[in-house]
Amino acid sequence: MSVKYNTITFELVHDIGHLILDQPPSNKMTIDFFSEFHHLLDGLHSMEHLKAIVISGRGRHFSAGADLDQLLSLVRHESQKNSGGETVDLPSFLEKNYKTFLSLEALNIPVIAAIRGVCLGSGFELALFCHFRFCGEDALFGLPESTYNLIPGIGGTSRISLLSGKSKALELVLHGNTFPAEDALGFHLVDKIFPKKQVVEMAIGFAEKITTSYKKEKAKLYLNKLL
Amino acid sequence: MEKSKNVEWEVKNSIGILTLSNPPENYLMEPEFIGVEFLQSRIRDEKVKGIIICGAGRHFSGGAMLNDLFQMAEDKDNMTRQLEKGKTLLDYFEYLDIPVIAAIRGVCFGAGLEIALAAHLRVCSENALFAFPESNYGLIPGLGGTERLSEKASFPQTLKMILKGDMIDVKEAREMKIADYIVPDGEVFDFSYSLLKRMTEDRSLKVIHYVMRALTNTKHLSLPEAMKEETRMFCELASEEAERRNKNEDN
Repeated sequence: MSVKYNTITFELVHDIGHLILDQPPSNKMTIDFFSEFHHLLDGLHSMEHLKAIVISGRGRHFSAGADLDQLLSLVRHESQKNSGGETVDLPSFLEKNYKTFLSLEALNIPVIAAIRGVCLGSGFELALFCHFRFCGEDALFGLPESTYNLIPGIGGTSRISLLSGKSKALELVLHGNTFPAEDALGFHLVDKIFPKKQVVEMAIGFAEKITTSYKKEKAKLYLNKLL
Repeated sequence: MEKSKNVEWEVKNSIGILTLSNPPENYLMEPEFIGVEFLQSRIRDEKVKGIIICGAGRHFSGGAMLNDLFQMAEDKDNMTRQLEKGKTLLDYFEYLDIPVIAAIRGVCFGAGLEIALAAHLRVCSENALFAFPESNYGLIPGLGGTERLSEKASFPQTLKMILKGDMIDVKEAREMKIADYIVPDGEVFDFSYSLLKRMTEDRSLKVIHYVMRALTNTKHLSLPEAMKEETRMFCELASEEAERRNKNEDN
């Protein structure tokens, strides 16, 4: 089974959902992306056999994050229409996005981000709402929002604070610099680093090994036992 | 530079430098070692974007002088008042809407450690030493140190450090998540200064304030509430950024 949106491809293989951010090369998260992502997540509840979700980016990168010009145009022109013909303004757009990310996190099946290349801004925030983060040795992370006079808009600050502690979160969010896989591992922002060609494969293998009685609170235990 | 109560305050390139200055150990003369109102007005008037708290010379601070403490305890009401003022000051640092870094060399004991724990980031010398010696004198930390330590370190680590009252080195401090950076002894201040500069120099005060607020929210609000607030702040900043870009296009 496979579902093809304009910006996302979702394939169900052996009961594991491969969610691919599909706007290469940078897989930018446009207004349409968020609308389709929301629609896709809504539909997941009816897939009885779905055992896990692995999120990755098409091509060399995970995602460069939101389309800033498009975001700011939401402010400038008050509102725009998304691909579904709905009118969106910035506050309701962002609110819907964080609720979507929260519902991703609330899923009772493993959600694994398989990260290669750049993983920035809201792309990174998406990864931070997954239950596990595997990355390639070439992965590059960052929340550059503050360098554009903004702050992360979809829970990035909260998630980093939870995973790395408040001090590190303060530094990463305020500084806005990018950092490599090794640092992300040291800051507890990724669980494991793999050679870049193996990341997706390892994430799928890991997902297959997790039993049906999955509890996301036991994430550490699965990592210790199954990797 | 201003001197009062054995503390020096100076602003350099929008960074406030607060030096505990009662060498060699920089013992604190009273819990409220600098006035909150003084700081508030300085931060506002001089548009300070971040603060470094450090000690004059080779040490951060040895904390309170035991004799002073017992002398103060003779008047119980006065002591309560003094401690409350000290706690208000440390809460002020913790909830300040600009980043505060403690630059720690040498000893960092008792109230000194409580100050360091109220900062947002701790840069430590390889030779730094930490302790809560209060229990050796039949006391407990009096300025929120127990609570702040247990927010970072595990419960057993906190208990051991406070009940045993032993000194720990920087390696152990790192394991307890109270040493964010460890650098050579001679580089503690410069490292702290350039870290703070990197974090703040190209940022508007508003972005700094909002990042600090988003972080504080993670402690006091549920995740959905914190995210809602984050969204609100984001929208406000985005409107301003969009306006700036509009203006630039018009020009």
